[in-house]
Amino acid sequence: MSAATAESKTSYILDKLQSLSGVIPIGAYLLDHLWSNSYALVSIEKYNQVSGDLQTVPWRIALEAAVLWIPILFHSLYGFYIWSKGKSNALSHPWMSNWMYLLQRWTGLIAFVFIGWHLYTERFGGHGVTRYAGVAEDMANPLYVAAYIIGVVACSFHLGNGLWNFACKWGIAITPKAQRAAGWFGALVGVSCTLAGIVIVLGFHYAWFPLGGYVQ
Amino acid sequence: MAEKTFIVRIKRQQRADESVRWEEYELRYRPHMNVIICLRDIAERPFTRGGVESTPVSYDANCLEEVCGACAMLINGTARQACTALVDDLEKPIRLEPLTKFPLIRDLVVDRSKMFEDLKRTHCWIPIDGTYNIGEGPRMAPAVQEKGYPLARCITCGNCLEVCPKVNSNDSFVGAAIVSQVRLFNMHPTGAMHSAERLDALMGPGGIAECDNAQNCVKACPKGIPLTESLAAVNGQVLVHAVKSWLRGE
Amino acid sequence: MTVPKIIVVGGGLAGLMATIRVAESGVPVDLFSIVPVKRSHSVCAQGGINAAKNLKGEGDSTWKHFDDTIYGGDFLANQPLVKGMCDAAPAIIDLLDRMGVMFNRTPEGLLDFRRFGGTLFHRTAFAGATTGQQLLYALDEQVRRFESEDKVRKFEGWTFLSVVLDDGGVCRGICVMDLKTMEIRTFPCDAAIFCTGGIGAVFGRSTNSVVCTGSAQSALFQQGVYYANGEFIQVHPTAIPGEDKCRLMSESARGEGGRVWVPKQAGDTRRGKDIPESERFYFLEEWYPKYGNLVPRDVATRAIHKIVFELKMGLVGEPAVYLDVTHIPREVLDRKLEGILEIYEKFVGVDPHVEPMKVFPAMHYTMGGLWVDNEHQATNVPGIYAAGECDYQYHGANRLGANSLVSCIYGGMLAGPAAVEYSRGLESGCESVPAAIFERERVRQQDISDALLNQHKGTENPITIWREMGDIMTENVTVIRYNANLEKTLVKLDELSERFTRINLQDRTQWANQTLSFVRELGNMLILARVITLGALARNETRGAHYKPEFPERDDANWLKTTKASYNGGEIILNYEPVDTSLLPLRERKYTAKS
Repeated sequence: MSAATAESKTSYILDKLQSLSGVIPIGAYLLDHLWSNSYALVSIEKYNQVSGDLQTVPWRIALEAAVLWIPILFHSLYGFYIWSKGKSNALSHPWMSNWMYLLQRWTGLIAFVFIGWHLYTERFGGHGVTRYAGVAEDMANPLYVAAYIIGVVACSFHLGNGLWNFACKWGIAITPKAQRAAGWFGALVGVSCTLAGIVIVLGFHYAWFPLGGYVQ
Repeated sequence: MAEKTFIVRIKRQQRADESVRWEEYELRYRPHMNVIICLRDIAERPFTRGGVESTPVSYDANCLEEVCGACAMLINGTARQACTALVDDLEKPIRLEPLTKFPLIRDLVVDRSKMFEDLKRTHCWIPIDGTYNIGEGPRMAPAVQEKGYPLARCITCGNCLEVCPKVNSNDSFVGAAIVSQVRLFNMHPTGAMHSAERLDALMGPGGIAECDNAQNCVKACPKGIPLTESLAAVNGQVLVHAVKSWLRGE
Repeated sequence: MTVPKIIVVGGGLAGLMATIRVAESGVPVDLFSIVPVKRSHSVCAQGGINAAKNLKGEGDSTWKHFDDTIYGGDFLANQPLVKGMCDAAPAIIDLLDRMGVMFNRTPEGLLDFRRFGGTLFHRTAFAGATTGQQLLYALDEQVRRFESEDKVRKFEGWTFLSVVLDDGGVCRGICVMDLKTMEIRTFPCDAAIFCTGGIGAVFGRSTNSVVCTGSAQSALFQQGVYYANGEFIQVHPTAIPGEDKCRLMSESARGEGGRVWVPKQAGDTRRGKDIPESERFYFLEEWYPKYGNLVPRDVATRAIHKIVFELKMGLVGEPAVYLDVTHIPREVLDRKLEGILEIYEKFVGVDPHVEPMKVFPAMHYTMGGLWVDNEHQATNVPGIYAAGECDYQYHGANRLGANSLVSCIYGGMLAGPAAVEYSRGLESGCESVPAAIFERERVRQQDISDALLNQHKGTENPITIWREMGDIMTENVTVIRYNANLEKTLVKLDELSERFTRINLQDRTQWANQTLSFVRELGNMLILARVITLGALARNETRGAHYKPEFPERDDANWLKTTKASYNGGEIILNYEPVDTSLLPLRERKYTAKS
């Protein structure tokens, strides 16, 4: 075989798109989503204002489909296909990176279920309108809180570890030293997202506005 | 004084389509023994611990100094070379199994020809014009040699494939060893002229994109080859090559 | 006739080079190897490959390389062929360099060279401390390229049993056994090139790989190919003793400045690194001031033997001396010797950067081998060629370090085209040979296997016989040879051969039965052991690696001749032929003079 045929390159392109879609747009959106939800830690009015702005963007459905639903569906479904081709062996070869490989798959599944449920309850359930009161009402339920924390941890881990994978798989971090640095960067992103997410969830649960001190 | 002995448990299988049986042998301990000596002891006296006569164990071995790559097997569950597996360092009973990612031939012998086929598929060679005396090779900076030589020490043992979650019967991933060889040949001044062929091959099914960065390969490599570095480097090369060929409409 | 058909048996350096040369000339090749060729024994060669490129301003020349080689081999080598090899060596290095061998480099990006035993020049190109591995891989890759172009067919995992000879005694094919299915098959060819390597297993434990049994050479010998200079066995001075094998500690350790010593005080129980400089006896440097630690291997080996057995100055607890590289900067060691120091650390568990290594001589190489002519690597049987360690040319009575790789490649370079030319000159090719000729040989070989498989009353264990053979050969037919001991060895070999007829196979299956192939090799080894011992017994002189205290001088009047063993109905007959010394006059071989 002298060169890959057009057909045989398809899997390469799909693999690369799967990897890329995890960072852009999905990873970027996660950061943005955490950012906009952080307004819930500022004040109810600010939160409602920001979410109102987001809910009134033009071409909303098309935008959401292009930037969110299709990438997430593709990233997840193709990710499950990739998962199905691997056979994890973390029990027989219990190296840390091997556990990360396994966790990346399970957190992906958890994130997929969580996002599906999250979309159902917050986006479609509310017909596309989210107000602070509605979310806070949901978050009064400790089971909701637990589910959100699990979801947020899974998404954050998946993004943080995914960024490390991305750096290695796109030839950005090549030497062991660079890969270690990329690993720390991924860990930083993962931990930051986890903390931010948990604080936001708890903010809704306790009607807590720790970042609202400078509003008045 | 009672002789010091130890137990070796071996997974035996006459053929791939026949049943598996585990056999236990009690061997006489001597200092500096390795797993190869254990297998030779068994060949000289193939009686199991229970006194049942068996057959000598089939296994691959050649150089016995970890440069030929032949004697890879699972020793206490770890993919490694039997010649450097010293009895003193191993937990007893010692458990021997064949590698699992390659077709079994018999006992501890597996067929690793897939790796050689993949080296062929990925054009892992320097295409020279002929063996005639046409002068010196290209000059090479010592720094390039110092990067390339460790990669060139790959013994094609297959341990990196054995531990890779993406190398299995569902997936055709060539494995870290092959990717690392592609990096080696792309590094050489003459080899670099033909890097596109290798990168194209790695873009196909079973190519570089299959790697999911579990990074087990580098830990299993008996020669300490920086396999994850090779994977990342070649990942970058393939990407650049893919984008360039796309832009040029190739 | 149509396109010739060439078979190469053995996929080490020589076999791969022969394959490349044949394929390059447009003739298809079938390459047979007992192991995947990339796992051949050539990988074990560590130190380097000699070529007088004279890149260090020392005034080296191919003539000096030739002189060192002939002198090192104690004038037993046929000189024109050695000169041809030394003249070709620089171009061979260039070729290997073009093939992508990761040779060590100078700051200018040129090839670096190190010093090796038996020379005063920096003449040895090297790729770390695994040069043989790197060279083998380069050739393996070229062959793989030809394979992808369908010019080469590889048969890996087949063991050679015999050649198919027609009624005129011409080689028309080979008979081989598939080590997986145990099927015995014949393959027709117009010429077969044998590159089947070393014979270490005849000595039980050696520095050789498991497959280096000499079985193919012995089988050919039994079919009429002469075996020459079998008595010349190189014992490498520095190896790590082991129960499964003796692992080589390359001469390059000394080439990079490593020193051999023992404590001045016999029985000193301190650790090597704790013994101060003033209490160390650097016996090689003292006894051979000109060459120091880099005397030829036979000289170094005998010196170590003398220290350990005659002077009783060996290390406490085991027969060994120190090989010390601890004074060399770590950075140099890592760059130039990493591969071998790693072997020591892995197998002994001691860091040689910090502690001197314990080493002892071990059987390493056979200078003798299949007899080939002085031009074409052709044996006396038409259609059979030989190259590499399995032939007898190039090294005389003792091989210089780093000359084996160059001789393997050079031999392969000659054998390939010679076999093609011979095949093209044949009146009728192998396709015209009646099938019955092939079937006859196949049946003969099948009968031998069947007889072994069907022998249910055997009592003798193959490994036991092999070990006993190895022990007595190592004891009596390596460093020091006494005629009485050689005779005892022959008696022992007779006993072992008799016991061999009562061998118990233990494994009678017909699938990947390694015992069956090993026993067949063992039978051949027993015959080769006799050839070696008989040659040693007859040669009443001391020359190169062949040392007889009862005859301590080289005897050119009576023994400047090549031993040529032939096999006739179970009888081993020794004949002799003169050595071609047309280029370099004889002189006494002495490494002691001051520089």
